[in-house]
Amino acid sequence: MQSNRSGSPASRGLLAAMHPTGQAGLTARFFALLNDRRFLPLMLLTPVLVFFIIWNTIPLLWLLGLSFQKYSLTSGDDPAFTGFANYLEILGNSSVWQDLSRTFVWVFLSVVLQTGLGVALGFLFWGSHKLPGRRIALTLLFAPMVLTPVATGTFFRLIYDPTFGILNQVIRAIGLPSVDFLGQSSTAFWAVLAVDTWMWTPFLMLMTLAALGSVPKAELEAAEVDQLPWHQRLRLIILHHGKFILMLGVLLRTIDSFKTMDLVLQMTKGGPGSTTNLVALTLYRQSFESFNLGWSSALAVILLLISIAFTSIFIFVLNLKRRGDAA
Amino acid sequence: MTSKLDFMTSSSGLSRRHVLKGAAAAASVAGFGGLSRLALADSPLKGESLHLSILGIAGWVPSSLGVKMSPIFAEYAKQKYGYDVDFSFADAPFSALFQKAATSLATRSQEYNIIISDSQWLGAFAKPKWVVKIDDLLKEQPGLTPEWYSPVISATYQTYPDGSQQLWGLPQEGDVVALYVRKDMLEDPAEKEAFKKKYNKDLPQTFDDFAELTMAEFEKVAEFFTRPDKNLYGTAMQYSREYDFISCFLYPFMWSRGGEIWDPKTAQVHGILNSKVNAEALEQMKHWLKYMPDGALNYGIAEEIDVFTQGKVFSCFQWAAVGPAMIPDALKGKVMVVPPPKHGNGSDAKRVYTFGGQSWVINAFNDENNMQATIDFMRWWYQPDVQLEYAKRGGNPCDKATLSRSDFDDMQPWFRTYKYMLAEGRSRDFWHHPKYAEMLSVQQEAFTSFMTGQTSDPMKVLDYVACKQQSILFEAGTAKEKAPDTCASISL
Repeated sequence: MQSNRSGSPASRGLLAAMHPTGQAGLTARFFALLNDRRFLPLMLLTPVLVFFIIWNTIPLLWLLGLSFQKYSLTSGDDPAFTGFANYLEILGNSSVWQDLSRTFVWVFLSVVLQTGLGVALGFLFWGSHKLPGRRIALTLLFAPMVLTPVATGTFFRLIYDPTFGILNQVIRAIGLPSVDFLGQSSTAFWAVLAVDTWMWTPFLMLMTLAALGSVPKAELEAAEVDQLPWHQRLRLIILHHGKFILMLGVLLRTIDSFKTMDLVLQMTKGGPGSTTNLVALTLYRQSFESFNLGWSSALAVILLLISIAFTSIFIFVLNLKRRGDAA
Repeated sequence: MTSKLDFMTSSSGLSRRHVLKGAAAAASVAGFGGLSRLALADSPLKGESLHLSILGIAGWVPSSLGVKMSPIFAEYAKQKYGYDVDFSFADAPFSALFQKAATSLATRSQEYNIIISDSQWLGAFAKPKWVVKIDDLLKEQPGLTPEWYSPVISATYQTYPDGSQQLWGLPQEGDVVALYVRKDMLEDPAEKEAFKKKYNKDLPQTFDDFAELTMAEFEKVAEFFTRPDKNLYGTAMQYSREYDFISCFLYPFMWSRGGEIWDPKTAQVHGILNSKVNAEALEQMKHWLKYMPDGALNYGIAEEIDVFTQGKVFSCFQWAAVGPAMIPDALKGKVMVVPPPKHGNGSDAKRVYTFGGQSWVINAFNDENNMQATIDFMRWWYQPDVQLEYAKRGGNPCDKATLSRSDFDDMQPWFRTYKYMLAEGRSRDFWHHPKYAEMLSVQQEAFTSFMTGQTSDPMKVLDYVACKQQSILFEAGTAKEKAPDTCASISL
């Protein structure tokens, strides 16, 4: 065990030869620490932990502290401790509840649509290995995902424009009246949702392809030999192996969709009226337009708790399934 | 054309003795540590090399003119004060500029030495003391600024709190709402004849015709030129939820009909904004949508420029400041800029439109050298020759000397209207309160919800805005009364 902690005799001899002075002892002790199983994990974790504490833990605690204070950057007043006043104000604010309910509808619709389309496209590409141009098609399909939401929002705002937009040119060309997609409360939400779906369906397609890639070929071949019906192949083999990756994709999209702000800000500013005003946009406005830092910190904490709840539910369901499978 | 030499040799109007006397006093002003170098000499920066940064509005001609003209100041400073100075320009759109400035100033940074502030932001800059209180500075250096063309200029671009004598900014660009009309269409004999036949009236032809025009009379003109089959519409206004766009174009409907938005003395909103006359104003503004292209509900400044310059609208209610963009070379000679119509009928008809425009504000955290150079820059900026050059390049000056020149009205196509609308009573600004952004956000949402049909009752919209704004002002400690209990359950 001794040799494990302080390196092999050969290496110790080499170090001593290289550093004949006291520094050799220091270096040797460093390498000895590296080789020590008690310290190695801690040393490997330290840089990550330092970053985590600086960039995550401290800001989070700061946010939590601010959420209990009345603090407006433009008031010129010092922050004042108000206990749960901000939380109570938010919970009693009908506008926030409206924004939250709109956001839940947004999350549900976007995740369902994107998962449905993404899975369908994933299956299509999974079975098309010999299709000419497959790689180009895949690259093009993934392109929306890598564009910034601000750029995408700008493109689509122009595409949807009733006067200049290409979509309305097409609509008019087939003899229909032009539609003010982003200016009408009946269409704006759906128009923005369509863009979000266009952007993020490739992500679910990617996750589907990864999930399908994790299915053992041998089991599929066995199913082929046994002439298992397709729905049984899907349930017993494909979903059995691929569901965790797929669920991870759904979980990531759910959390991400809950935070949607930039696309809406660029396309409609939350309007017309409040038709597309998602809760993340309210948070942005209160933080960076109104500079109500106490109030917006409290809202951020509430949204964080909701995100954690989402994640916990997903993980619980996954673990439940896993335990069920194991049993 | 005034040469660069003129700027360099023209006097600031202050004698050396005067400057020294004022500067010595300025050094003693509490909170103006950065100004204390004034006490040393009138050119304490001699031999120094400085860099000044201006934060202005992206894509806004008047903001960029301040920077484009800065090399002239650099030469002036070199010759008059003996120091080198260069400038950089940072910008952000209207909706994001305050955010950019505030986050920098909150850290006591001098990243931006001079900021071009929309007039409504004065309170938010002033309350945390992020910017220099100009009246202290002016007391010590009375020659720093010229006499303004109208008293409303100081109230609009300098004063916070409203109605007080405290000044926090200096006018950078004056701005008013103007009506841009297609002169070539108005003068077309076929159009004139067709209009006469349809309405038994003549199409307005001149500035004076439009100065007398009411909205009811102008509606006939807008209706006449609304021809969807030819992709031509009568007019355009701003209905967008972005920043203050719809508010600035709704207020004229309210003010001109006698409506008010608050009582600046008591900060009372509830019971003043939610009035019958203001509800009618909302309905009237919505009524005008039928003379505008599809998509007008999303129109802001840029969209209006697009539809007007592409010939899709006959007329456009638009800021005078964007004259250079509204009248490109292809439209020169074809556009007339006139006063926007009056509201009401007969002798009761009134015209009260919204003030636009921006102020210079000076970063209070500037170090001594930058503060001195900034004051030198401001003193240079308000010299008559510089203001004249600014006007010739398309900016809207506010000083009496330039606006009173006999050739001013013809210098730019919109100048006559600009001057006309500057007269007291024809244009007004709204709150300069630190809670401006929050109050604005509430009403932008509410007003657009009515225009787009999300909410159908205009009184409900105004009740909602009044409740929210009263609460905001009460919590900020400005309003004496809190929102009534009926506000607890109000929503759009």
